[in-house]
Amino acid sequence: MTSLFQQPDVLPLREALRGLRFLLRRGGETLAETLGVENLPGPAGDLAEIAEKASELASGVVRSVLPQLPPPPEPLDHLTQTQFGAAIYVALRTVLKRLGAPGVLVSETSARAAWQADPARLALSLVEHRVIRGLLAHAAEQVPGGALEPVAIFAVLLWLQAARSDAENEAVLDTATDLALAKAPEIAAAMASADLARIEALFARLVPHV
Amino acid sequence: MPGWCPMSDARLHPDQLPPSNEPLRIAVRRLRWFKSAFFNYVETKGREIGCKFSVDDTKLAAAFLRWLEAIERQKPADKSQRRDFFEFAAALMLRELTADMPVTAQSAPTRAHRDSAAAFWPEGYCCTLFCLSVHAAAMQQEFHEATDLDPAFDDLRHWWSFKENTRQDAGFSSGFLQMLLGHEPNWLMPDVFRLRLQSELG
Repeated sequence: MTSLFQQPDVLPLREALRGLRFLLRRGGETLAETLGVENLPGPAGDLAEIAEKASELASGVVRSVLPQLPPPPEPLDHLTQTQFGAAIYVALRTVLKRLGAPGVLVSETSARAAWQADPARLALSLVEHRVIRGLLAHAAEQVPGGALEPVAIFAVLLWLQAARSDAENEAVLDTATDLALAKAPEIAAAMASADLARIEALFARLVPHV
Repeated sequence: MPGWCPMSDARLHPDQLPPSNEPLRIAVRRLRWFKSAFFNYVETKGREIGCKFSVDDTKLAAAFLRWLEAIERQKPADKSQRRDFFEFAAALMLRELTADMPVTAQSAPTRAHRDSAAAFWPEGYCCTLFCLSVHAAAMQQEFHEATDLDPAFDDLRHWWSFKENTRQDAGFSSGFLQMLLGHEPNWLMPDVFRLRLQSELG
């Protein structure tokens, strides 16, 4: 794990490729939804398929630039900015998939830029830095009140603060998401009003029980 | 000590709860353990009675959080009441599970007797046995005591009353579970620990 972090930082390239993959995927979906390309003749009908293949190619390139890092089981206050960015990318993608928004773009660069040691401030900072991008209204509604973004961010920070073994890592992320969903209205209200005290209180209340 | 009914076919399966490096009283307050235990238990019980269950993760998490809040609110300061409160905590757990049931039977049980509690209300039966099993495991670990069930467990009329009354007031579930453990609950407010103690002492 340590040796990987000593390699040259390929994050800008990886981030650019992720952005390209996102655009290709979203473009392909839009084509399929709006044009009914399956009914078009000849080459035009292959547009969605071409977009999908290009998206797969971009995914492969992203993976080849640097293998996906498993989220480290270190607690939040032990993470470096770089480790935090890598961990939150993988974890947020997992949570967004679980919440029904797998196609959303997660910016690792923004996650690094948002880094702060205080969890409540970090939650707000991740929103401010737009770590989650390209969230469509119908995807946001997968969580009641359109609170997908704050709930996903809260879930990942809850997971990072919870005591857990390596073997429990995935299960703890899953239950952190359950808890965030169960408290979605309170989390959304606290985050929307940037109420640090309420966000802190929610973390303090939930972290021991993940 | 509640009377043991040799005719009871109740199977609590406390041994099928997931292992933990922590004492059960601590592990049960972590959703990762609680969820794993609940899912395993529901699956085991479903196989036993021939019924497939689905579980709503969010409802389960919400019930878990309400349960935590309830036990923290009612936890007695007097340590001599610890054993009694252990039992009461299981009753509150059943209250929260039945208040917004996280488990749904996808089909009628095929292996349960037609006149059994499992056939009558599979979801209620499953949640009740889960709470009793967690209780049995905790009592064994903390106090080295076995959990015996009241003969009322095998009386379908009690289960009928449980289902009907719980629809109107989930607090009734607390009284039902205490009754299965051989106590006479305070039926006016069966989910208030202080009143239960007064009722038993009085």
